[in-house]
Amino acid sequence: MSLLEFDFMQRALVAALLVGLTAPAIGTFLVQRRLALMGDGIGHIALTGVALGFLLGTAPVLTAIVVAVLGAVTIELIREKGRTSGDVALALLFYGGIAGGVLLIGLSPGGSSTTLVGYLFGSLSSVRPEDLFVIGGLSVAILGVVVVFGREMYAVCMDEEVARVSGLPVRFLNLLVAVTAALTVTVAMRVVGLLLVSALMVVPVATAQQLTRSFRATLWGACLLGMLASVGGLVLAFYADVAPGASTVVLALGGFLVAAGVGALARRTT
Amino acid sequence: MTVFALKGGCVSLGGREVLHDVSVRIEAGEFVAVLGANGSGKTTLVRTLVGLVPLTRGSLEIFGTPLADFRGWPRLGYVPQRLSVGGGVPSTVREVVTSGRISRTSRLRRMGRDDRAAVDHALEDVGLADRAGDAVATLSGGQQQRVLIARALAGEPEVLVLDEPTAGVDADSQDTLAGALGHLSSAGGSVVLVAHELGPLADLIGRAVVLRDGRVISDGPPPSPEGHHADPGHVHVHPHETTGPTRRSVLEPPTFG
Repeated sequence: MSLLEFDFMQRALVAALLVGLTAPAIGTFLVQRRLALMGDGIGHIALTGVALGFLLGTAPVLTAIVVAVLGAVTIELIREKGRTSGDVALALLFYGGIAGGVLLIGLSPGGSSTTLVGYLFGSLSSVRPEDLFVIGGLSVAILGVVVVFGREMYAVCMDEEVARVSGLPVRFLNLLVAVTAALTVTVAMRVVGLLLVSALMVVPVATAQQLTRSFRATLWGACLLGMLASVGGLVLAFYADVAPGASTVVLALGGFLVAAGVGALARRTT
Repeated sequence: MTVFALKGGCVSLGGREVLHDVSVRIEAGEFVAVLGANGSGKTTLVRTLVGLVPLTRGSLEIFGTPLADFRGWPRLGYVPQRLSVGGGVPSTVREVVTSGRISRTSRLRRMGRDDRAAVDHALEDVGLADRAGDAVATLSGGQQQRVLIARALAGEPEVLVLDEPTAGVDADSQDTLAGALGHLSSAGGSVVLVAHELGPLADLIGRAVVLRDGRVISDGPPPSPEGHHADPGHVHVHPHETTGPTRRSVLEPPTFG
């Protein structure tokens, strides 16, 4: 029985490839900025968007995009203030996102918190044909942002003040990173789930940098590792009948352990 | 041509005024050191000059243009005080220095030959051409400071503003740094730097602005060291208690030796 015989698996594999490529691409910039947990926060907030879709009877992916983008912009504006209370404000947003999601799904007709499980941890059969267009379109947008604005985003993520004195539109670029991260979260939520989205944005980057010296190599290496993990995780999920988010992240973490070991050995011998 | 014209500048940070009525004009080609004790407002002054800290009162013109209308950012280079080159992802020395070229390139135009030449030149100027491919985190603190300066030089600025470039930097790196700033200065560029100890930079400095408690207490030729204060690398700043318009030496006469 080949897994490619199933239409839903074909769609899931295409989605997994796109997620594996885009999540680490934007994740590299988040890690560079030391905002590795931002994807997590956006994922929590996006849950409210998913539930809102059920409540309103519209496609959850569309409401998730709107709410995730609004949440990401809010996080960025709080961060920009740079107050110590920003940390707590972020925590409030995250909890509000989860609670709001569970609350709204309870209010929607026929909905219960089990409806959300597929969105929290990913689900093989949840990628519908029309979702694939949304995921494909968003992926093109995310990669386009990285290609066109990558050099500026690198400069801002490395040293915001120097970027400001260079005349770069720092606030625009920061918001661009945040919004792109939000889009990535909604792309990835079908395959790895909202609670594990951030892992696919961060773990491949952490893995790649065990073995790299440059930002560029880290970015490409992370994208490659991300695709391996997401496709491998999907295949594993199919045969073992587990949630694809879990198998993808466990694979990615396994890769990190191997790379950390190899990296430590390589550094010792040089 | 006037590079910076700050008139009656007041700056508040966190509700406390840290610069009071500061006026400084810096002309093209000058090499200016901003001196003063810790907390005197040196860093705030240079951050104000490059537009990072807003004025609560007063006015600032950069190259004759009010800050709000100023768009000539590529003419400015800024080296902040950093302990290391930041970021959670590895970068090579060349990548960091190349990012300083960004003000001279446009969004859709890739790096051209001129850009690469400027990056190479900046790397050579700070003596790190042979480390270009290395991860910046593997460099010493002094070398990382040189990377930050090369990043600013890669933009080929007309004026370079540096915040404590010599703090915690080894002697070799200080000499290299002095050489690079000397090149910029002799090519007609302006340099404004905050310093605690001048070290090998002392010979380059043509003017010293001394701050105390957020006010300029002295502005003029750098004091010529005497006695044991003339030792290389030995520059003491002892601002006097009184403040006022009179120009005073920032060096107290040696009390012994």
